[in-house]
This record gives sequence, C-alpha cells and structure tokens, in this order.
Amino acid sequence: MPSAPEWATLTDQEVVLLARGGREAAYRELVRRYERPVFALVFRMVRNRELAEDLSQETFVKALNAIESYRPEFKFSSWIFKIANNAAIDHLRRRELDTLSLDGSPHAETPEAVQATALQVGARQESPLEAVEAKELGATIEAAIGRLRPEYRSCILLRHVEGRAYEEIAEILDLPLGTVKTYIHRARNELRLALAHLKE
Amino acid sequence: MNTVSGQHLSPDDFDAWLAGALAPDARNHLDHCAECRQQAEAERGIVTLLASLPLLVPAPGFADRVMQSVTLPDPFSLRSLTSARRKLLATPKAAAFAATIALLLVGSMTASIVWSLGHRETLMAVGSWVAQAGWVAVRGVASNLMEQPWFAALRGSLEHPARWGAVSALASFAYVLGVLAFRRLLSLPTQQVAHAGL
Repeated sequence: MPSAPEWATLTDQEVVLLARGGREAAYRELVRRYERPVFALVFRMVRNRELAEDLSQETFVKALNAIESYRPEFKFSSWIFKIANNAAIDHLRRRELDTLSLDGSPHAETPEAVQATALQVGARQESPLEAVEAKELGATIEAAIGRLRPEYRSCILLRHVEGRAYEEIAEILDLPLGTVKTYIHRARNELRLALAHLKE
Repeated sequence: MNTVSGQHLSPDDFDAWLAGALAPDARNHLDHCAECRQQAEAERGIVTLLASLPLLVPAPGFADRVMQSVTLPDPFSLRSLTSARRKLLATPKAAAFAATIALLLVGSMTASIVWSLGHRETLMAVGSWVAQAGWVAVRGVASNLMEQPWFAALRGSLEHPARWGAVSALASFAYVLGVLAFRRLLSLPTQQVAHAGL
C-alpha cells in the first residue's frame, strides 16, 4: 500500500484499483489530481464560480460513486472531463448565463457577497501592478472565450488551457477527430478577431 | 526578394508549427510567405494568451465536500457481486466462459444427485460404517484421556459449579477478545500511517 509521497508514482488506473478496494485515500488522490482542471474547465464553461463549484462537485460525486463502471482501457482524465463537460453543457442548455466577473458575482449586493463570489486563482509570483494588468487581461480573454459557442469553448479549453491531445478531446466530446480540429481552428480565429485590440 | 513556394499552410500545418513539428516543405513555404507567417504568429499569440490564463482552484475543503457524498465500496457487498457479474458478461468470450463453468457446475450437481438416488443402499452402508468408525475413535480418545494421571485432579477441581462458571466466563472473554482482534486485523486502514508504509 502506498504512503503519501508514493501516490505520485501511481498511474490513474492504479489509483482507481485502490479506490475500488475501498481505500478512501485513493478517492482523495483522484480528487486532488483533477479538482483544479475539472473546476477550471467547468468554470470557464459556465462562468459562475458558485455554480462551477457545484457542478465540479457533482462531477466528482457522480464519477467516484460509479468508479466500478470506469473502464481502465480509457484514460481516467477523459472519463472525468467527459462527465464534467456534460454537466456544464447540460447546464448551459438549461439556462443562459451572466457575463464573467473575476471580481465577484454581478448579483452580489454587499461587499461581503462580492468578496465571497470573487474567483480564487492559484498563486503566481507577480508585482501588484502586474497582478492588476494580468487580471484585466485575464478577464478580457475569459470574456472572449465566454462568447464562443459552447462546443468551440470545450475544445479550445481542453486543447490550449488543459493541454489535452486532439484524440483525447475527440474521446471526451464524442466528436470525430476532424471536427475537433475544425472547432479548435475556428475558435482560435474567433479569439484572434475578438482579442485583436490587445496587440495595440 | 523572397519567393513563395507551394500552397499556403493548412490549419493542420499551423497546429504542427505550434507543436514544433512542421514538415520541411511547409517550413520552406512559411519562411517565404509573409501572409502565412503573419497567420502563424497570430495563432501563436492566441495560444500564448490562453496559456497565460490564471490557474483556477475550487474553494478550500473541496475534497471533503466531495467525499461527504461518496459511498466507499465494500469489497464483500452485493454491489461488488453485481459488478463481478457485469464483468463476467462484458464480452462474448467472457460470457461463453462463464456459461461453460455454470454448465459444468450444474451438470456435476445433477449427476451427483442422480447417482445418490440410484445408490441409496451403498450410501447407507458407507454412512453406517463411517458413524461406527467415528464412535469407536471417540471412545478410544475418551478412554485414553481418562487413563492420564492428571485427569483425576482436573475432574476434582471442576466439581464445584462456581469453578465451571469461572472457566466458562474466562473462555467467553478470550473468545470475544479473539474476535475483536481478528476484525481489527482484517479491517482496511482509513488513514495514512507514515511509519508503516501504508
């Protein structure tokens, strides 16, 4: 049985096997490995922090409670991203969403609510000025991504933010490889037009 | 002055260029085509911008909230048996194998029952012989024990009912302790134990 530092040496499939044996630590390791990318994907799809938390949680609960049905010949990452993407797309189909705000929900009525709904980002070494500029730039890019069609959005996020291979994206989204390539190319073109002013 | 050679780059070529795996012919074209070079630089700009997006993390305690709604599987539960059955029937080959095993089991059981019904006298004779042999063995062991020098002393010490009670209580206590220790030994650890390499 692996100790905490040894988890890193195990593949996803090996961790899944331990989870199937009833080891809670293995479940936590799977969550630890994928909570950031799943949350990031879902957040950028639905553009609402609280909702993204709920949908990400729902994704993990659904996946981990059905761990017996996971087929090890497929990548675990593909499986969990597929569940997450489906959750996000289902939600987008049900309702239209607000524009993104990195500073908190536009519906927040008090400063505490604004703070509570503000987006938490991972630590990066930046000066205060760089941080403000990066935040503004980030918000501009996020807004441009948010204007893409949901299927383009999934593709471009999985490819250029999460660094997934075309083949894996096709598997996650149940799309032909050619379609995935076309969507990514079109998404890049749309983003290039939307962000052209950033060059100036 | 630069000379443009070949066709303009395709979307696949731009992907290959971004991945640093552009074919030599296309590379040659890119070196001489300002239009494609501009397009390629624009594509790279977008990819760089996307890669610069902040790392997003869920609120602290996310894993705990997930785990509150997750049911850990019990390897001996009915659900696991259901899963085993699903695996057995996953492919035609596995299903054929499972069917063969089931057929062999049912066949051997049927044959056994049929044979037993047809040879009741033989079974009765064998049963009677086994019972007799068993009884002789028990009697032999008992008489052997009674002839031991310590048997009389042991019998004398247990004649008082209070002593029987004490011995029974001691045996029960030892049994309960044994069961608890065995359960503890078989249960899966739920926490990391650093020094035990779990």
